[in-house]
Amino acid sequence: MSRNVVVTGLGAVTPIGADIKSFWEGLTAGKNGIVSREFTLGDDLALTTPSAPIDDVEERIAGLGRELSRADRFSKLAVLAADEAVANSGIEFDDALGARTACIIGTGIGGQATLDEGYEAMLRRGKKPHPLSILKVITNAPASHMSIRYGVRGPAFAISSACATGAHSIGVCAELIRSGQADVALAGASEATLTFGAMTTWKAMHILATETCRPFSKNRNGLVIGEGSGVLVLEEEEHAKKRGANILARFSGFGMNADGKDMINPAVEGAAGALKLALENVTINDPSAVYINAHGTGTLLNDPTETAAVRTVFGSGADDLIMSSTKSMHGHLLGAAGGIETVASILALNNDVAPPTMNYDEPDPACDLNYAPNEAVARNIDVAISNSFAFGGLNAVVAFEKA
Amino acid sequence: MAEIEQSLLEIIKDHAVGLTQAPTRETLIADLGIDSFSIVEIIYEVEEKLSVEVPFNANENPFGDMKTVGDLIDALNNLIKK
Repeated sequence: MSRNVVVTGLGAVTPIGADIKSFWEGLTAGKNGIVSREFTLGDDLALTTPSAPIDDVEERIAGLGRELSRADRFSKLAVLAADEAVANSGIEFDDALGARTACIIGTGIGGQATLDEGYEAMLRRGKKPHPLSILKVITNAPASHMSIRYGVRGPAFAISSACATGAHSIGVCAELIRSGQADVALAGASEATLTFGAMTTWKAMHILATETCRPFSKNRNGLVIGEGSGVLVLEEEEHAKKRGANILARFSGFGMNADGKDMINPAVEGAAGALKLALENVTINDPSAVYINAHGTGTLLNDPTETAAVRTVFGSGADDLIMSSTKSMHGHLLGAAGGIETVASILALNNDVAPPTMNYDEPDPACDLNYAPNEAVARNIDVAISNSFAFGGLNAVVAFEKA
Repeated sequence: MAEIEQSLLEIIKDHAVGLTQAPTRETLIADLGIDSFSIVEIIYEVEEKLSVEVPFNANENPFGDMKTVGDLIDALNNLIKK
């Protein structure tokens, strides 16, 4: 008996919309979530850099309850997204279903704000860190909070693979359902690293954009870090049908591999290989009905590498598909990127609209696909793909088709 | 001593989400509505507020037999004196 996986719930907290409805409105309108922001630590440390923060969720965070009041921001954002995904899936976790539900919520870093505060207290002021710092920092905190909050008691853990975290988490959850280890899964990722310490560390690497994120544009000059979370409810198809769930998309493939070459420089063969694996069981009759949500970081190396990988896999069909980078609007959410970008891909599939690549103003001969420059494109979409290619050469690609 | 006791009562009050009025020495710990995290948070705040060190080890179950807020205050006072 083959088990198929479908998507029945979506939740997103992003710099351009803190729920699914406003996220989609932002994506189609080309909303800009990137601002110049000052990050401080103590009374004397400050750094100003472009970033993509979420400023309109404090009230919702305060309403999350006592358990979450002790959590780091990355857990709070994750639970906000999961609450929305669970609510719009209409699923109710009784004792039996709770035991058959997986929860994999990844993060690239974990409790960055807690780390910053703890080190500031210890190293600069000679104070103790907060006694619950460990519980706040640990990368599995969102999965643990969700297991307690919803009573889900199947396989639960965090995946961490830098910028591929979200796609890995979603793909592994789908495999757990396919293999029969779970019937339902909460799958996604969260990141909240907009702190003085993290931004200073990123800046030290000399790859942050000076003004904004311009994926695939010749004048691109780096990435912009954002924060947020994206969570999906994945479900075994018959289980979803039996309870009359609204099926948003069919999970059709997951490809993952490692370049095995370099900690920074991406490799075309690795990216192409992961994309190929994700499409192994997908029949593409019309490449113009394919939408790819690009990894599209806006760095010198990623964008042409990703373009070449897509050309390798699609051949001449690459000229007909659309690949856009929504990071041009919401920035790079690092571990959570694959979470919200998978949500964006499914919304594109549902609405037959490819969100744009904003801030695109100078063609690059090395980046020669249709990136939906500066304006959303309405067209039939049968297959939606989300690419994630991490530092360290770890690649994860997930693919979905219409239900 | 009275000053320490007052400070402890104030810290405990902030954590006592189960109470509608301020706790006294006679209030039952079971009625405070505190959870598994509260004791370490209370101790942290005692240390910050009173600039003292509380040599507390959760593995020694030092508050195991406590029934009232008074018991908790006495135990904290004993730890502070150590």
